Amino acid sequence: MTEREWTPKIVAFCCNWCSYGGADTAGMGRFQQPASTRVIRVMCSGRIDPLHVFNAFLEGADAVLVTGCHIGDCHYVNGNEKTQVKYQFLEEMLQQLGLEPDRLHLNWISASEGERFANFINEVTAKVKELGPSPLKPAGVR
Amino acid sequence: MVKVGDMLVGYATDENVRSRGASGGLVTAVLAAALEKGLVENVVVMKHINEFEAVPIVTDNVEEVLASTGSLHSVPVNLAKYAMGRKVAMPAKPCDAQAVIEQGKRGMIDLDNTYVVGLNCGGSMHPVTTKKMLVEMYDIDPEDVVGEEIEKGKLIFKTKNGEEKAIAIDELEEAGFGRRESCRFCTLKIPVNADLACGNWGVIGDMAGNATFCQVMNEKGVKLLENAIEAGRIEVQPASEKAIAIRAKVNSVMEDLGSTLEKEIFPDIPDEERMQYYMEQMEDCIDCGACKEVCPVCACGEDSKCTMFHSLVDNYKMSMYHMVRLLHLSDSCIACGQCSDVCPSDIPITLLQSRFSIPSQRRRNYQPGINLDTPPFFEVILK
Repeated sequence: MTEREWTPKIVAFCCNWCSYGGADTAGMGRFQQPASTRVIRVMCSGRIDPLHVFNAFLEGADAVLVTGCHIGDCHYVNGNEKTQVKYQFLEEMLQQLGLEPDRLHLNWISASEGERFANFINEVTAKVKELGPSPLKPAGVR
Repeated sequence: MVKVGDMLVGYATDENVRSRGASGGLVTAVLAAALEKGLVENVVVMKHINEFEAVPIVTDNVEEVLASTGSLHSVPVNLAKYAMGRKVAMPAKPCDAQAVIEQGKRGMIDLDNTYVVGLNCGGSMHPVTTKKMLVEMYDIDPEDVVGEEIEKGKLIFKTKNGEEKAIAIDELEEAGFGRRESCRFCTLKIPVNADLACGNWGVIGDMAGNATFCQVMNEKGVKLLENAIEAGRIEVQPASEKAIAIRAKVNSVMEDLGSTLEKEIFPDIPDEERMQYYMEQMEDCIDCGACKEVCPVCACGEDSKCTMFHSLVDNYKMSMYHMVRLLHLSDSCIACGQCSDVCPSDIPITLLQSRFSIPSQRRRNYQPGINLDTPPFFEVILK
């Protein structure tokens, strides 16, 4: 068997109301994007606990994306503002831990921004490809 | 009349308490009076077993409070958790007082009913290290020690047959003994966050050694002192200008030392080596959970996010438990050093934790456990 080219595994947490719709729009608009993402739908980006991000990294994700509605557009009034606060600490903590900053991203994508979603995935995939596999990836996971 | 902000020098009226106390027995007398007069229902004190061991007890017996007098430098227990759900008065190092306030912010301790008598603290020592140090550096049998004192940067031990031996603390720390690491970089030496800030710094002249300098920090402190004066347990007089200046000087010297040592204790690690460093430090973890159990600022209770993933199955390259705790405590960690003390694998958890929490706190100009004006981060930012 020939060795396949390594492609990063990216976990994208998408909020049900905006960025999940954005991912849909990207598909419907036929914007090309690499098949490197695993989308996890959550009802609100405020639901994303730092714990989920840690777990994704420990189980072998090369990058984690936290996406949600634009500030002020949250379906639940201020869920994404809570995400922002949590994300600040999460980002600082993972940087101190020695994880490259490019492995964790926060982005606001609305349901109509399909192209933006596809571009975002393209950008992150390219960056992570340069970085190589995550240092937290367990042995035996590709 | 005692007012907030008063600087006083006082001592216990009871000769027995005064002579046995480390410096005038004021703290013991204030605690005993608070219990006697019904200001509080319980008092948290350390019950001596020997020079290196003591257990915290919650008592409503005045005799037990009086018997606890005298200081111990090598029993680094944080008392904050004993104040939970009780109406208590307690003696407290600056870090105990910080922990009480952090718990108060999280609704675990009712601060209106908790009276905190702060004690100046230049650092405490781990009992095991102390015993080892006595044998190796002092050449004294730990069993023979009857007293200890820190004076002018020297650690002095007194033995049964009246001998004293002093070695400079710097020298001890270079040899790997001396104060706990978390105490070395601590910069809160006078408990300005407690209700009363007591200690022997600034006690001069013929009072030296048998009186306590006491600063009244708030209304609860006034209540405590007036209550003790009414009960006839203590006598106080205003401190002289000179005494106040000396106390401030000792404090600034200690604080400077703390900030200097901080740079030594936390050498910079380059970005790309940090992950390896943390993995190596944590690889000995046996997942016993003792660090969470003793943590005085942890307010989650038994079932919490960190323990939910407290299984080796969830730990591939790094323990999920530690990752959650490193994040979770980045606002509240007071670097008291309890977690390092209890770790059976000798992982310096306090040092690891501080690498995360200190920069995070500084960036937001937040000092944990000082007052209630600064609620936990999440609340600050969301308003």
